[in-house]
Amino acid sequence: MKFAEVHPNLAIFVLGGLEAEEAAEIRHHLDSCPDCQSELEELEKVNRALEAAPPPAASPAYLKGEILSRVRAEQLPPSNKVVAADGSSPLEEHRRSHRTSRFNRFKELRIVLPSVAAAALVAVIALGVFFGSLREETPVATIQLIPTPQEAVGLKGYWGVAEIRPQPSGNQQVELKLNNFEERKPNSYYELWFVSGEKRISAGSFTSVGQGETRVLLNVPPEASNYQTLLITEERVGKGPAPGREVALEGGMP
Amino acid sequence: MTRRADDPSDEQLMTNLDGPGVEAALSKLYDRYSRTVFGVGLRILGDRSMAEELVQEVFLKVWRSAGTFDSARGSFSTWLYRVTRSVALDLYRKRARRVRPVSDGDPYLGSARDPSAGPQEVVDKSWLSWRVSRALEVLDAPHREVIDLAYFGGLSQREISERTGVPLGTVKTRTASAYKSLRRELVVQDSSREAIR
Repeated sequence: MKFAEVHPNLAIFVLGGLEAEEAAEIRHHLDSCPDCQSELEELEKVNRALEAAPPPAASPAYLKGEILSRVRAEQLPPSNKVVAADGSSPLEEHRRSHRTSRFNRFKELRIVLPSVAAAALVAVIALGVFFGSLREETPVATIQLIPTPQEAVGLKGYWGVAEIRPQPSGNQQVELKLNNFEERKPNSYYELWFVSGEKRISAGSFTSVGQGETRVLLNVPPEASNYQTLLITEERVGKGPAPGREVALEGGMP
Repeated sequence: MTRRADDPSDEQLMTNLDGPGVEAALSKLYDRYSRTVFGVGLRILGDRSMAEELVQEVFLKVWRSAGTFDSARGSFSTWLYRVTRSVALDLYRKRARRVRPVSDGDPYLGSARDPSAGPQEVVDKSWLSWRVSRALEVLDAPHREVIDLAYFGGLSQREISERTGVPLGTVKTRTASAYKSLRRELVVQDSSREAIR
């Protein structure tokens, strides 16, 4: 085999990708060709470097959406940010401290996705109160709602954000933005709770039909501002006023 | 990932992280680098779920710490490597306090990390891993495919040809060309070892 035939095949030779007969011919040529020996040494460096290459794996597709949604949720207007001495906002610091534990829970949810989901429509029922004219007010708090492992159903991008706005009446309006929220089961609905220890205040109930963004406006009394945890539970029709134990999403007040 | 000539540079995208274009800029940086961060995370941490956590924390840190990036001191890639290494070390130490399996059944992960190595040793090796990953990302899809199939898949050139339907001669040409590109990229990156400490 001549130089012109061997030289282009040296990389494949280094890779071990040649048939046995071709490889033997290249070895034979190498014995008497300093140029090809030199080229081979260079290519073997590439081969050794490839040993350090990460495995050819891509991160899950939903991860980018998660990151961008967190960026979106953290982008509060400057008027709501109090900058600490180190330049970071206490709100951001607080969220940061919660983020890892929330993600630890979220990362357990990587379950197979359902292939088809219905088009989104929301039926806000019963206790939800709509204050459309006040929606453009700046939220005083934005809370990330993360699925709990027990109730996770593995919907892609299954998450939510709750924005809280004060109302002239003293009540607080809660705008839920839910993404790919699970379609409710028959004879059940969802309920949003403000929780502090053993105490709970219901902000109202709603339903969702799955894929896409669901928006729900609810209303809670002023004392809810002292409750630090938000839960969305699945409730069964006719079971009475006690809160259900099946928590779908949860989040902490900043 | 090959880049079009009119695509904004990494450094230009970093300047957009503090403005209305933040999501578009971060999305673009994610597309360019998430595979490398994830892959290096797999090698360092040996655990897919932790590598996912690494990706999440790294890109949030890129956004939050964009103001600390100074293009005069080095490339974005090198800065991002330092961010990745720092977050990975934190996760590695955090994991050391928990009991976790090394791999979750992924065939690539069993040998991805030497369990006897200490955190600093493991992380130090990540720089080469990072460089190779970035060099691979420069390859376009057809060239990347032959390297993946040949090196990681262990297929011969003939087997690659049969599997992909690409003529054997083309497979050979692409393999040789890909190796040439990798060699060039690794040399370029080796000369830009600035400030990785």
